Amino acid sequence: MNGLGEHLKLSVRLHFRNTLALIYGYLFPLIFLVAFWVLYRHEKVPLLRHMGELLTVSVLGGACFGLPTSMVSERERGVWRRYRLTPLPTWAFVVSTAVARYLIVLSAGLLQLGLALAVGMTLPEHPLGLFVAFTFVAFALIGLGLVIATLADNVPAVQALGQCIFLPMLIIGGVAVQLASLPTWAQQLSAFFPGRYAVEAIQACVTGDGLAAARFSLPALALIGVAGCIAGTKLFRWDSAQRFATRSGKLWLIPVFAAWAAVGVLAEWQARVSARVAAEMAAAIAVAPVSKEKPWLALTSKDVAQLNFRVPSDYGVVAPYAAPDDEATDYTKDELDNVRRELPTWRPGLRGDDVQRVRNLLCVAAVPDAIQMPVERYLPPVVLQHLEDTYPRDQLIKILTWIVLHPDDGTVVDNIEALGVQGSAGDPFVVRERSYLYALKFIIRLTGRDRR
Amino acid sequence: MPDNVVVRDLRKRYGGTEAVRGVSFAVPAGEIFGLLGPNGAGKTTTLECLLGLREPDGGHLEVCGVDARRDPRTAKRKLGVALQSTALPDKITPREALGLFGAFYPEHVAADGLLERFALTAKADAPFDSLSGGQKQRLALALAFVHAPEVVVLDEPTTGLDPQARRELHDEILRIKRDGKTVLLTTHDLAEAEQLCDRIAIIDRGRIVATGTPAELVARAQGKQSVSLVTDRPLAAALWAGVTGGAEMSCDGATVSFRTADANASVAAVTALLAEHRVELVELHVRRATLEEIFLGLTRSGATATEAAP
Repeated sequence: MNGLGEHLKLSVRLHFRNTLALIYGYLFPLIFLVAFWVLYRHEKVPLLRHMGELLTVSVLGGACFGLPTSMVSERERGVWRRYRLTPLPTWAFVVSTAVARYLIVLSAGLLQLGLALAVGMTLPEHPLGLFVAFTFVAFALIGLGLVIATLADNVPAVQALGQCIFLPMLIIGGVAVQLASLPTWAQQLSAFFPGRYAVEAIQACVTGDGLAAARFSLPALALIGVAGCIAGTKLFRWDSAQRFATRSGKLWLIPVFAAWAAVGVLAEWQARVSARVAAEMAAAIAVAPVSKEKPWLALTSKDVAQLNFRVPSDYGVVAPYAAPDDEATDYTKDELDNVRRELPTWRPGLRGDDVQRVRNLLCVAAVPDAIQMPVERYLPPVVLQHLEDTYPRDQLIKILTWIVLHPDDGTVVDNIEALGVQGSAGDPFVVRERSYLYALKFIIRLTGRDRR
Repeated sequence: MPDNVVVRDLRKRYGGTEAVRGVSFAVPAGEIFGLLGPNGAGKTTTLECLLGLREPDGGHLEVCGVDARRDPRTAKRKLGVALQSTALPDKITPREALGLFGAFYPEHVAADGLLERFALTAKADAPFDSLSGGQKQRLALALAFVHAPEVVVLDEPTTGLDPQARRELHDEILRIKRDGKTVLLTTHDLAEAEQLCDRIAIIDRGRIVATGTPAELVARAQGKQSVSLVTDRPLAAALWAGVTGGAEMSCDGATVSFRTADANASVAAVTALLAEHRVELVELHVRRATLEEIFLGLTRSGATATEAAP
């Protein structure tokens, strides 16, 4: 075991002498973090809702690229062949390499977390749970990295294989693009990727109910990790002269695919894939208790003037707003016509008290913005027009001001399919945030602040 | 002396090609044993099977009394190995490498002593990728000694070294022998084998074609001497064949060489032939056959396995 410990220590030490490894292992995760910070700069608590994605991307990079690249390049140069001449068993080298990689991705994760806290993120709800979830995520993805190392005959093959796993996981696996904004088929496919469970488990510990909310994700990650580590050890190649095509024991890959498939099938069977979306839809049609009181009537113009009117640019990514001379395409025009036609009878727009109704109507602008649909910037003027047609201007200003002052009250709608606009943000927090920004933008226009 | 290495009827096949066909040899303690052969002869495969890098199809492998096929981990503890090209992580230092490899064994030698013995103290903390070829090779040797093994296997250890580094390495190998270790050496260099090895096995096309001390192998060619001569103008090869017998003869323009069992008669025949065709003899050398000529003769002709007389 002394040999295993020495190899582990030296592997970590040598990692810190490799400039390229440091760039890939630490600089790239930080660049991701800064990119998310800038992209979601208007969120009330910076990065808090994105730690699941950010930490998963870091582990993916370290485990699916860093680990196999390092292993395959050393194998190509004959380093592993030299190790094989020693009496240390194969599993000891595999364990040492995997643990070294875990320590490396853990340090990168801590660096990310530290920087996120430095820019204003609040502490995760369940720090210890986050550590456990992170460990499970790292275990699953390192297992995957070991399998890539056994499959790839050379470093370019690692890059190709890594991309084949990395990109789908990012785009349709729920890692970089939120699941709720994906079509149904992609959501169902994502159930077969570990990335989805990685994000779920980590995010549950940052903003959710902790490990209790990851009762499915953690065993799923553990199963994927165990299968990967077994296959990685059984198919381990010491020598670059041993090509994978000529290697015996390829059947050890079956547990890997079986684990992915089992997790996906179980998720489908337990209706977990659509459960989350269904929950969001339920929230969408939920009706807030109707209050007969109208406290917003007590608001004055002074209250309106005291609002913080710092909002994102109308031409930006967050809360865009089409200028009057910005003409939509014919397709978008048809969508807008449909919304205009349906809006007066749209049920959420008629349910609840005035504040809740306006809140729901704001969601018609907020949801497409959250998922960056082409129609996003054209919808706010349509919604504002409908609101102006429905409420007297002074009342509308007060209702909107009330919403701005109480952004977390009531409920939000995350599904506007009834208006002919497909997709949902998948996160009520985002919808609330965008609703808040559009409420401010509407007040700016209604009070003529945009002309000053 | 007990045999520290025993290879018996070793067989290894790659697809349809039988790379090793029943190789057998034994090396007693305190001996330097050379495995010689042209590229593709099977010596590397033989070595790799012994070291546990390849799984043989058949045969018995033994290191210091340990069955290397049944218990490779114990066998590896007895073996110190320096491969032809030493591969280590680029940024590892010699001191770290010795520490790391030492930790792989239950008992190991202090790194400082090995650094000094192999003249690496000045480079002890330099990254591996900054070492010269000779320094890397010395580090490979030091790694082979990190656990004080009973058998040292050196796979073409002097390939790519300059003459100075080569001589230093030869001295080190002889010192290993003086320390009572068994050395199994592969080389292409016949002069090196002749200088270092107590015994040599010549391997060709997967079989051992000759085994013995360098002197014994040379003695095998006893009675056969090597004749080479240069004339002022070339003669037809067919004319030379008449006096040399044709076998083991090479004719390149005005330069001719051949081997003969009766040097006196051959030289007389040569001078008669030259006089007859009015050709002047410019140079004439007669000497005993070298190990290289024996090696080439054995590996060219596909000779059957023979054991030199003890």
